[in-house]
Amino acid sequence: MKERLMKLSTPWKLAILAGLLGFIALLIGNPSNRNVIDVNAKEMALATVKNHDRIDAMTLADWLIKENADYTLVDLRSEKEFGEYNIPTSVSIPIESILNSDLMRNQKILLYGNDDVASAQAWFILKSSNYKAVYILKGGLNAWKNEILFPKLDASATAEQTTAFEKVKQVSLHFGGTPQIISGGTATTVAAQTTVAPTMPKLTAPAGKVGGGAKKKKEGC
Amino acid sequence: MTKEKTYEPKPYSNPYLVGLSLGLVLLAAFLIMGRGLGASGAVSTAVAVGVSKVAPEHASQNNFYKEYLGDEAANPFKDWLVFQILGVIVGGFISGMLTHRVKVTVEKGPNISVRNRLILAFVGGGFIGFGAKMARGCMSGQALTGGAFLNLGSWAAMMAIFAAAYGVAYFVRRQWL
Amino acid sequence: MMPYFKFDYFSVDFSLVIAFVIGIAFGFVLERGGFGNARILAAQFYFSNMRVLKVMFTAIITAAIGLFYFTWMGWLDLSLVYTTDTFLIPQIIGGAFLGIGFIVGGYCPGTSFVSASTGRIDGMVYILGIFFGIFVFGETLPLFESFFNSTPMGRVTLNEFFGLSHGLTLFLVVLMALGAFAAAEWGEKIMAKKNGRGAE
Repeated sequence: MKERLMKLSTPWKLAILAGLLGFIALLIGNPSNRNVIDVNAKEMALATVKNHDRIDAMTLADWLIKENADYTLVDLRSEKEFGEYNIPTSVSIPIESILNSDLMRNQKILLYGNDDVASAQAWFILKSSNYKAVYILKGGLNAWKNEILFPKLDASATAEQTTAFEKVKQVSLHFGGTPQIISGGTATTVAAQTTVAPTMPKLTAPAGKVGGGAKKKKEGC
Repeated sequence: MTKEKTYEPKPYSNPYLVGLSLGLVLLAAFLIMGRGLGASGAVSTAVAVGVSKVAPEHASQNNFYKEYLGDEAANPFKDWLVFQILGVIVGGFISGMLTHRVKVTVEKGPNISVRNRLILAFVGGGFIGFGAKMARGCMSGQALTGGAFLNLGSWAAMMAIFAAAYGVAYFVRRQWL
Repeated sequence: MMPYFKFDYFSVDFSLVIAFVIGIAFGFVLERGGFGNARILAAQFYFSNMRVLKVMFTAIITAAIGLFYFTWMGWLDLSLVYTTDTFLIPQIIGGAFLGIGFIVGGYCPGTSFVSASTGRIDGMVYILGIFFGIFVFGETLPLFESFFNSTPMGRVTLNEFFGLSHGLTLFLVVLMALGAFAAAEWGEKIMAKKNGRGAE
């Protein structure tokens, strides 16, 4: 009889422990709400002011040419826009699904949208969700277009500016862009200057992967 | 055939302690990998690879096989669930050896022939295979892993598992009783 | 922060080693619980041996309590733990198939691997059945793909669905499990008396 009681006691202890932990859990309520985020406001504000997290288009172009691949380039626009044009090597993760993506917390992530707005928002979301290294492409795709794809040189430029432009031109051509020289309001060289950008470079093959990569789907079972 | 008793293997462990250990294993998987346990996923991968070997065109058009084949870059067998199930086989064998429970036999009730038991085992396996994919996970993946996560669909599936099993138990009682 | 893998603490290749180790532990525990034996599993559904329920619910509440407290301590980011999206109706139908397969075949996929590795021929045949069932599913999926993807609810937990706090849901689950254990112990005693033999 005594032996049987001893045997019973372990499950009973466990049951009491489980009940107790369950009850404390009831008092705690929600351990964390994943829709509400904790933010280190000071660190965030400092990062914003110092502009540490901005990469300009020229730097990115440089990285791309040198095939420096220690970062993941993320296109935050819709998949449709991504399909029309995207910066080479980028991955499409529309901003609404940024937290459900396969991005790793310790990964270097470079974000871009059409301008700075979406990427700044995504930057904030990611930073506050403990992503360590998040960067923004300064000016977004618009800056990429202006500075890399369709750089313009005023005809009345100084010699210095012209030499600088030669370098930009090479970069631009590398990415299939159309450098232009503008004289007195009308652009010569290739196309007439219009508000509409000259033809966007065609996507060579699938430049990036849609939906954060066609990785093998995880299954519970 | 009558029940055979050659020697007494060790009795099975206390179910609550087993459950506690199983829960801790599951928790370890959650904490280390961020995912739970699974079993049928490995078989799915094997089936998908088999189909794509025989009929690559056919497999590449099927959404289900595609999921388990992934992109061509990685070997589909380099998968978490595949290695995990290899571990299950080894772990089960180790425990069976330690407790003298490894024995080539057919588990069945006294009132059914071996042949019929094996037929039913195959049929049951077929149901499970189909159901596991329909429910997006089997007992390990849905009931256990999803259950611990308090996943709504997993609990719904778990209730359906118990309801269906109790409902059908009467009709196959000759197999077990 | 946990889960470690999601924070790049180790590579995919190393994760396979972990998978193997966790698998060993999983298989070991299942075998200890008697889950390599179809008769013990099936006994659950004739109320004579409630091991399946006891082991399963103990495991569920252990892991659920663990998840809750690790999250509460701030050690675990629960949103990074993978869980399947809910597709309510297909999952209930799938669950029914699982239940039927369970009682007809005597195993679930995980336990069948344990039974096969401990020499059970029915377990090996059962695994062949799983292959066949999954093959049939894969081949016929195009016929009912819209049903398979019906009632999508995304990643949703019981507490979100019922609008309760996580802690309250956990408490109710624990209470339910403890109640089920009490009922199981009581039922086993009744059945043992009726059958004139011990439950274990």
